[in-house]
Amino acid sequence: MIMRVILLERKIQYVIIFTLISFSLLLSACGPKMVTKGEKFPLLYEEAPSAILVLPPINQTTAANAKEYYSTTIQEPLSFTGYYVFPYEVTAEILKMEGIYDAELLTNVSLPKFREYFGADAVLFTTIKKWDLSYIVIASTLTVSVDCQLKSTHSDQVLWEYNGTVVVDLSGGSSGGGLAGLIAKVIVTAISTATTDYVPYARLANYNALSSMPYGKYHENFNRDRDQKIIEQKQK
Amino acid sequence: MKKVILILLMLVFASLISCAPKQMYNWEDYSKTLYAYKKDSNEESLLKHIKELEKIIEVSNQNNMRVPPGVYGELGYYYLRNNKIKEAVEYFNFEKQLYPESVILMDRLIQKAAVAKTLSDEAESINHAIKESEK
Repeated sequence: MIMRVILLERKIQYVIIFTLISFSLLLSACGPKMVTKGEKFPLLYEEAPSAILVLPPINQTTAANAKEYYSTTIQEPLSFTGYYVFPYEVTAEILKMEGIYDAELLTNVSLPKFREYFGADAVLFTTIKKWDLSYIVIASTLTVSVDCQLKSTHSDQVLWEYNGTVVVDLSGGSSGGGLAGLIAKVIVTAISTATTDYVPYARLANYNALSSMPYGKYHENFNRDRDQKIIEQKQK
Repeated sequence: MKKVILILLMLVFASLISCAPKQMYNWEDYSKTLYAYKKDSNEESLLKHIKELEKIIEVSNQNNMRVPPGVYGELGYYYLRNNKIKEAVEYFNFEKQLYPESVILMDRLIQKAAVAKTLSDEAESINHAIKESEK
């Protein structure tokens, strides 16, 4: 009798372990594809730029003020990646004096010019893809989406690119956008009743995108993050 | 028993301390005051933003932290715009010392400041001459 009970317990244990294993397999199969920073952005490690110039954003949305507001949200998050970031307010004004209001006008300017004039090793292009509110019957959502691309002024090559998107459900329900989405959800309960402000979410979208960028020389983990895993994004 | 609890508590504290990430820079409310200035550009909002930049420098220095990149440069630029040449050049030099990567841009700005100084000196001497001749 005792033997039987023990056997039964064993059986239950096996069943539990089996379920757990199959469940975790299921989860990993459903999850996003991961790559390491080193695999994804080898050129950035190779060139190891130290000074980044942020160019005026390209606005692909219909929100006229998105460009100016978005540009206030990049300096701070980018600095935390460990690169030297030129003061955007200064460089943007200098570029403006040269007749360059947005990066669209820069497609013909050769990148080495930015090294000569500013001393930049790389330039950061940002494109605002989404900056809107959408109202659906029961819910309304706010979306901020930005494409970021870092290009070398030495080799003209793309050193890093990533998209940052934050979707906020303003009705207080669930939200997407990975980890940043979760953070956004916490904040949103506080502001959902007040007027909607895009800027904190734009900053989150930046943090979201920049989390995949290999660290620069002022970061304590500079050159030690090659094996850090990031979510693989489909390149257009 | 008490000893065990004490040790456990100490362990919890130790783990909490090691978990708190060391902050790299202190940006205070930089993005807030900059956004307010962009939203409504006037002397008051600019002054608030300048105060914030000064606060970043002050608090960073108090806590032995590196002043974030661009802060000295941006502050110097506002001084330059207000024709306060001496302060402007001082801040550009601070940025250059702290971040050697900025040397090309900072030297360019210092040059600009020198030109602005000659211009304002000239204007002053012309004014002076006019006043003299009026006597």
